[in-house]
Amino acid sequence: MVAKKITIEPVTRIEGHAKVTIRMNDSGKVDRAYLHINEFRGFEKFCEGRMVFEMPLITPRICGICPVSHHLAAAKAADEVMGCPPPKPASMLRELMHMGQIIQSHGMHFFELAGPDLLLGFDANPAIRNVVGLIQVNPELAVKAVNLRKYGQEIIRLLGGRRVHPNFAVPGGVNKALSVEARDTILRGADEAIATLQVGIQIIKEWAEKNRWDIDHFGVFSTGYFGLVTAKNSLELYDGQVRLIDKNGSQLEKFDGRNYLDYIAEHVEPWSYLKFPYYKKMGYPGGVYRVGPLGRCNTADQIDTPIANQELSIFKQLNGGKPVENTLFYHYARLIESIFAVEHAKILCEDPDILSTDILNTRQEFKGEGVGVIEAPRGTLFHHYWANKNNQLERVNLIVATGHNNWSMCEAVDSVAKTYITGPEITEGLLNRVEAAVRAHDPCLSCSTHAIGQMPMIVEMVDPEGNLIQKVCRG
Amino acid sequence: MDKVLIYGYGNPDRQDDGVAWYILSELAVRLGREPFSLNSDPFSFAEQSPHLGVALQLTPEISELLADYDRVCFVDAHTGAVPDDLSIRSIRPEFQTSPFTHHLTPEACLHLTQAITTHTPQAILVSVRGYEFGFDTSLSQATRMLANRAVEFIWEWTQRSAQI
Repeated sequence: MVAKKITIEPVTRIEGHAKVTIRMNDSGKVDRAYLHINEFRGFEKFCEGRMVFEMPLITPRICGICPVSHHLAAAKAADEVMGCPPPKPASMLRELMHMGQIIQSHGMHFFELAGPDLLLGFDANPAIRNVVGLIQVNPELAVKAVNLRKYGQEIIRLLGGRRVHPNFAVPGGVNKALSVEARDTILRGADEAIATLQVGIQIIKEWAEKNRWDIDHFGVFSTGYFGLVTAKNSLELYDGQVRLIDKNGSQLEKFDGRNYLDYIAEHVEPWSYLKFPYYKKMGYPGGVYRVGPLGRCNTADQIDTPIANQELSIFKQLNGGKPVENTLFYHYARLIESIFAVEHAKILCEDPDILSTDILNTRQEFKGEGVGVIEAPRGTLFHHYWANKNNQLERVNLIVATGHNNWSMCEAVDSVAKTYITGPEITEGLLNRVEAAVRAHDPCLSCSTHAIGQMPMIVEMVDPEGNLIQKVCRG
Repeated sequence: MDKVLIYGYGNPDRQDDGVAWYILSELAVRLGREPFSLNSDPFSFAEQSPHLGVALQLTPEISELLADYDRVCFVDAHTGAVPDDLSIRSIRPEFQTSPFTHHLTPEACLHLTQAITTHTPQAILVSVRGYEFGFDTSLSQATRMLANRAVEFIWEWTQRSAQI
């Protein structure tokens, strides 16, 4: 029996684009669906030979979406290489900037990328199933969403001077103190941001209530979960230790991120350029895990801010106290984290130390090697540098969030394709569900290059002899 | 006098992908302003238009900014998927979905502008063929030549009336 094959290939980047192949069997059912990520990892080589103190400015260029995460992970790694731990106020300021990044990135994802699917429906006309359609249906919410992202961006700008590629964190600290005016601006916006996020939480809850079948069948599977936590296993986005739990919620490991190579290995599949990280002791695929909002909300036992913690306790009951496995609940977890980010930004701003000018440690004790770990919006980000005594980098290793979630995205695509594609006709709505399985993870398939020349998304079904029998095209 | 924005985007660390930064810098110098770099202010808002801006990619916030202008020229690289090496075309508001990522097109930004403010500037997209996309800050010779032609075109375009 020869299988039929459907290919979905959005070529939206020169590099880093993804392709979905759905192999059908002769009875018109999905045999297996694959997500191929053509991620080209040349950035490490590009960094070799650079000075370590340049890295906080160079590495944000990897990505226009989460540059702050790379900026801060690079600064943390450089702190270690150069042996200059930052003073407490500098760490607080970096963390504050990171909260801005979480707010703007998560806000954009929920309200502008995922929101249209939830509010307008997976099967809505794609011409209106977007943020513009959302504006037309609910202009008040759309304005709130724009203001939420703007709030996060404004935190970044107030600290770093720019919204996209800040020049702020340097080895040993930061290069600018926070003014009283800037702090007050951040504090003034917090309540409105939380209110908007609570509207978002209401949306996802109501949607889940009405779409229970989708929630229970859309990419639901067991994995481990991975994320930073505090000493007491509370949610942590800037520092802390890595905690890894199994599918039942039992702790497998809790370790210093510097030792990640002792715990993580990477598997290679011939059909994807992106490797598949897994927990070494359990092997592949038994040791695969998820990161990002779902991973973090499962990994943390609680959250140290009241409103987010209240939501987390509700989230924890979704699967009877066990880890929540539903891919669509990535959206819920994302909003819980966003509330935490706003609440935490407020706490940081209310601490008098945030206005301190003790922001840079100029004493250095060269170490030559350093690891910076941070929770980027999409998941755990590792920067690992090795430098010579001139502070020139000899080796660089980066593990980005989308890499950790590679297996999960592939599994979600396969699961969703098998669940929803039950006949030979591929409708736009079905195609959108397969995309949404990837989109729920909010992957960053390399934003570092994006010349125009996009092709439309194409789904092709071919017969066993390779002849085209159906083509769905849009974009 | 029309209020004009020239807005380039791309990654200057990926050779020809960053051609817009080169073009915008050349225009800035002609206007007696500082050229752009990754460490400079991404906007050049002189008292008189044209205003200039650069970014690594388009983001939703830019939609609000666009509403302040009568005419906008977007500048980008292309990979050869459009017919002309130096491609110049009018663009209109149209939301274009990016299935997996946060990527926005200039047409989608204009659509957002229209939805948020009801005003839409006239807009063109100038895109220059890129040939080399490695990790380097230099342009290929072929792209640099096309970029110089693009500078001339945009310079003349800024001097014209609102006709596109």
